[in-house]
Amino acid sequence: MHHAFKLGEAEHDIELSRSTGGYRLHVGGRSIAVDLVALPGGNLMLSTDGRCEPVVIAQRGDSVFVHLDGAAYQLDYEHPLDRLAQQTQGAAADSVRAPMPGSVIAVAVKPGDTVKRGDTLLVMESMKMETTIAAPRDGVVAAVHFGAGQTFDRDALLLELQIETPA
Amino acid sequence: MKPMTATSAVSESSAQPIRASRVAGWPFRSVLIANRGEIAVRILRSVQKLGLEGIVVYHAADRAAPAVRLADRAIEISGSTPVAAYLDAAQILAAAKASGAGAIHPGYGFLSENAAFAQAVADAGLAFVGPTPQQIELMGDKVRARAFVEQGGFPVAPSAIEDDDPSTFVERARRVPLPLLIKPAAGGGGKGMRIVRDLAVLESEIERARSEGQRYFGDGRLYVERYIENPRHIEVQVLGDSHGNVVHLFERECSVQRRFQKIVEETPSPALTPELRARICETAAGIARKAGYRNAGTVEFIFGQGAGPDNAGGIGNVEFYFLEMNTRLQVEHPVTEEITGKDLVFEQLRIAAGEALGYAQADVVSHGHAIEFRIYAEDPARGYTPTTGPVLCLREAQGPGVRVDSGIVEGQDVTAAFDPMLAKLIVSGRDRAEAMARADAALAQTVLLGCQTNIAFLRRLLNHPAFVDGQVHTGFLDAHPEIAAEPALDPDRLHRLLAAAALSIRPLRDGADRVPALHAAIGGWRNA
Repeated sequence: MHHAFKLGEAEHDIELSRSTGGYRLHVGGRSIAVDLVALPGGNLMLSTDGRCEPVVIAQRGDSVFVHLDGAAYQLDYEHPLDRLAQQTQGAAADSVRAPMPGSVIAVAVKPGDTVKRGDTLLVMESMKMETTIAAPRDGVVAAVHFGAGQTFDRDALLLELQIETPA
Repeated sequence: MKPMTATSAVSESSAQPIRASRVAGWPFRSVLIANRGEIAVRILRSVQKLGLEGIVVYHAADRAAPAVRLADRAIEISGSTPVAAYLDAAQILAAAKASGAGAIHPGYGFLSENAAFAQAVADAGLAFVGPTPQQIELMGDKVRARAFVEQGGFPVAPSAIEDDDPSTFVERARRVPLPLLIKPAAGGGGKGMRIVRDLAVLESEIERARSEGQRYFGDGRLYVERYIENPRHIEVQVLGDSHGNVVHLFERECSVQRRFQKIVEETPSPALTPELRARICETAAGIARKAGYRNAGTVEFIFGQGAGPDNAGGIGNVEFYFLEMNTRLQVEHPVTEEITGKDLVFEQLRIAAGEALGYAQADVVSHGHAIEFRIYAEDPARGYTPTTGPVLCLREAQGPGVRVDSGIVEGQDVTAAFDPMLAKLIVSGRDRAEAMARADAALAQTVLLGCQTNIAFLRRLLNHPAFVDGQVHTGFLDAHPEIAAEPALDPDRLHRLLAAAALSIRPLRDGADRVPALHAAIGGWRNA
């Protein structure tokens, strides 16, 4: 069965199967002998193509955090159904998301307002930086999800524009 | 799981032994720490080492923080936001009185440079571990501080101060040699600062700086000064007691910055000859002496290559000017502790207790080299924007010359509620090369999973040829965006990561296990 992980912006398709000594990872037309073994003391040893190295792994939901060779990485397991849903979803320009965690300084619009592309929708602050969130396109504000003083995480849905149906 | 806490206030090798009997004659037996995070832990260590009682105040968002657990007593405070709680002078003072604290240590940030708070603490009969309210006021007002320093004959950069005559401010600003820098008079931490390279935009930039100053500090007054291209930020640690004694504890180079905030600090500065080092350190001590300064403090200088005007403080083809004085403990104080062997929090407490320094300038000696790396929850590749997430796994670096001052524990959530600095890694060695080699190993060893940090970025920075050569300036990271960019993953590493991830996802591994190895092997033959 095909599986996929997202690392940064890129998606990687893989397959995993058993082999006599451990597992085989099938990726990009290659098949690599791999295994992950817990050592006494709780450390993990990753072997790939006969090369062994210690790794530290933490997991939360479908996110796997790996510390390998002196650096940390996050890989997100993509459920096959979620991937299908994403591929059939419409334009992302209807939703305005937070580019970084922060708090709202001021909201310049309210639901029902007509906005032009580039108009200020909201002013946010993240640490010591002030950022203006501008309208990604012409349209009508459908919803505003945060008010002045409220805090949010990265990618939080700040505002929505009304979905435009082709004329 | 081992919580991540400060390994030592000062490396055992360099620390002066501190005994509880030291404090027998002190006017206070307990210290309330009006701060949070790594600095609350750092201050607690010195307080408790002395046999004094350490009390912390904390907002509910910090309930799981190590300072709360390590403190002898912890008092919850509240506020409209977590930050507001730590800024609530009246509430913190009430907590201090209720707990019977004899002194308040403000740490850095929050109330540390709030003259009214320092006054209120003194009025309540408590010792403020800091300077006098008058000294805070003087140095907190950049315009007054600059005039004070200039009057003492110390070097300040060419400038135009709005308050001198608001009606001619723009005109006078135009006469400052380009490029110039606009700063809020009440500012700090880089807020509201704007660089102008073209006089055509001077007036509009003045208006923007004014509105930012108004919003951040409630004060729209400005000043403009000459902006030195590729400047270094070099600061000097000073200590003054209430008996008029002042010494310096050498300099710190803090040139590697992003958005005017420091990321890496080291001492000694690679830019200074012994002659210049003595000159800049003596200048700082002179400024503190003129102020009758009491407490640990830092005199910051801007340092540039190229012959300056007549009042430049440099020698030959370098110039340096007074920038500002911070009347508190600095984030980067540990590097000074590592090369001088002085515990700065202990020194602050002694001074607040009324003791004399008890040593002279010649007794303060610099040994070896120390570098501090600020570990931030942020994404350097996305403009150093803050990141959030749970701290799922935390393992701190260890080894000779390695010190970690941390305010986080495994299981804690990193939120947008506070400053994104999580911990500081301080590495020292006999010389800069040894400190750098140890730093690279220590950064590679540091594991923090669940929330993205700048650790990999710090390693790229450390290994950049310009950093290795000590050739950095405050615009260095802007000039080298490739250091912040996420490097491309080579296929080999990608495959190792995918293997680790695939073998960690239970349903995926179980799916593979359901097909016995023999069948899988046969299947492989069949497909071949």
